[in-house]
Amino acid sequence: MKEKIYKKEIRITILFSVLLLLAGHSASIFVLFPGLQQGTLWGFPIQYIVPILLGWFGIAIICLAMTLVCNKFDDEMEEYVSTLSPENDNPNENPPK
Amino acid sequence: MPAEYALSNVWIGLGVVIVLFAIFYAVGYFSSRKTTSDEDFYAAGFSIGPVTNGLGMAATWASLATFLGVIALILRLQVPFVYLWIQWAISIPLLTLLYGTSLRRMKAFTPASFIRHRYGKPSTIVIICWMILIMVMYALGQMVGLGQAFELLFGVPYNVAIVVAGLATVGFITIGGMYGATYNAAFQMVVMTIAMIVPMGAIMKAMGSSGWWFPPLAYGDMVPDMIKNIPTFFDMKYDFRWYFALIPAFTLGPVALPHLAMKVFTSSSVKSARWAVVWFAIFLGLLFSGTYVVGFAGNFFTATTGRIIEKADQTILILNVFYNPTLVAAFVMGGAIAAGLSTIGGNLMAIAGLVGSDLLGIIAPDMNSAKRMKWGYAALGLGGLAAVLMAFNPPRFLVTSILWAFGLLATTATPAILLGVWWKEANKLALIISSMVCGIIFIVISPHVLPSICVGSGLVAALGMSGGMVTIPLSFAMFIILSIAFNRMPALKAYAPTLADKKVIDRIHGWGTDYDESRYNGIKWPLIISAICVAVFIWGLQPWT
Repeated sequence: MKEKIYKKEIRITILFSVLLLLAGHSASIFVLFPGLQQGTLWGFPIQYIVPILLGWFGIAIICLAMTLVCNKFDDEMEEYVSTLSPENDNPNENPPK
Repeated sequence: MPAEYALSNVWIGLGVVIVLFAIFYAVGYFSSRKTTSDEDFYAAGFSIGPVTNGLGMAATWASLATFLGVIALILRLQVPFVYLWIQWAISIPLLTLLYGTSLRRMKAFTPASFIRHRYGKPSTIVIICWMILIMVMYALGQMVGLGQAFELLFGVPYNVAIVVAGLATVGFITIGGMYGATYNAAFQMVVMTIAMIVPMGAIMKAMGSSGWWFPPLAYGDMVPDMIKNIPTFFDMKYDFRWYFALIPAFTLGPVALPHLAMKVFTSSSVKSARWAVVWFAIFLGLLFSGTYVVGFAGNFFTATTGRIIEKADQTILILNVFYNPTLVAAFVMGGAIAAGLSTIGGNLMAIAGLVGSDLLGIIAPDMNSAKRMKWGYAALGLGGLAAVLMAFNPPRFLVTSILWAFGLLATTATPAILLGVWWKEANKLALIISSMVCGIIFIVISPHVLPSICVGSGLVAALGMSGGMVTIPLSFAMFIILSIAFNRMPALKAYAPTLADKKVIDRIHGWGTDYDESRYNGIKWPLIISAICVAVFIWGLQPWT
């Protein structure tokens, strides 16, 4: 169980880090693949408006997904921890010292 | 013909600023009544809800530069600078994902609080010194900008402006502590967003755009005229390495900014911190998109009217004076001032936390909460006063672009925090050596201290992009390799992570009392990361064109 939770935490962290980097640095993709610099959206060149949209709504959507997934993961983690130390009300909120 | 900013009626500008400051002081005063402990002072009692915190995070991140410097750089560099700015929006989400919620779980006041628990006192002093240097640079830049804004708005000499604006600002921030800084920042975000977006609608209408109803995204019908007048406006201009270099310097640097992390820590819970980040992304995206349209409109204005904007920093103000009534132009200036104040508030709170809580926690670990709070007030007030005094005649080195300082932070502090949270082998001595050596190298190879020894040239060097692409991967690789080596040397056993250090890692990840040695451990992946870092380091050393 705990191995599964641990691997899930690592997977979630890597996945959302990569998604955030892609959304924030999508302009790099247009430099790497200049062929994508064609066409327009709402009157703007595609290589201009797509990074702006991803940098706003894209990041917001990724953050929303991250929040839902990570908060659900926290519930799983707390459920696991509560089975180990039922006498401790909220072991994860305590400062280390 | 040159276009310049000048309010036709200074009293209207004065009225706007007085009303804003009256609100800031009122918020500071009511916040001070809620502050009864060090938790209240440094972390707003860990009680801030998601929407207020999202607004506060966005306001703290959006500095005076959002209104002045960025628009000037878009005017000069055009679209590549828009791309540079877009990626700032991932800083707080990444920070929250990679360590923010973990440190919130341990109820840290600043990232240095974690460093103290994880690495011990000597390493903490090193990180605190770097962070204070960067926070002073940041606050000083904002303070100088604030003085210049007051000088511009009221026509008073700079020294008078800095005394009046500086002391008035430090006053309400000191009174309010983190409660005041957060509530004021949330209000300031609303002010700056309205000031950025709404007047642009009128400007776009006057420029002939049918998209005036939603300035951030509806100016596409102005594009053909823009391309006709400035055919290169939408060109990406630089090679892939330029864009890649944004990641080490400008993505990894802000991840370690203490004033941004402290906003995450004020959340009422770990889950609330994540929801705050969603609101942050929405609010900041709206404001930043407003910045891009002002940059676009500034270029459009010069291209289509033939007028020259000599002081590019004042683009948004000039456009408003040109197209909008005086009251609106004064309100936009008020928005710019609000942007500067929200960042200064965050900077000063970070300095107070680093000095009053973290440094004092090392010198006097047994001090009680009430005394720590009093020291926090003293550190906050004195930090602000120091920033005001330095702003009279700022040291040249300290007014270097804050963007350059992000590279310094990514070199010196980001590896310590990220590896400290995710890797049990991270070694105390390896942190001190890699942080100091690579930090000094970053300063030396920049054009700001020893121009004769410089990696890169022109803008990439001045902004720390080329230097950062060398020292940031070097710092990560050096930290990892030295940690692995030092942990295996019996003579350096005192610097190896102890069981207590390792337990901190499991606990902040949410494992409570369940400890497992194999978790967040091992050397395979750290060595792979080191190899990648070495490759980036070598790429960064290649000549920049």
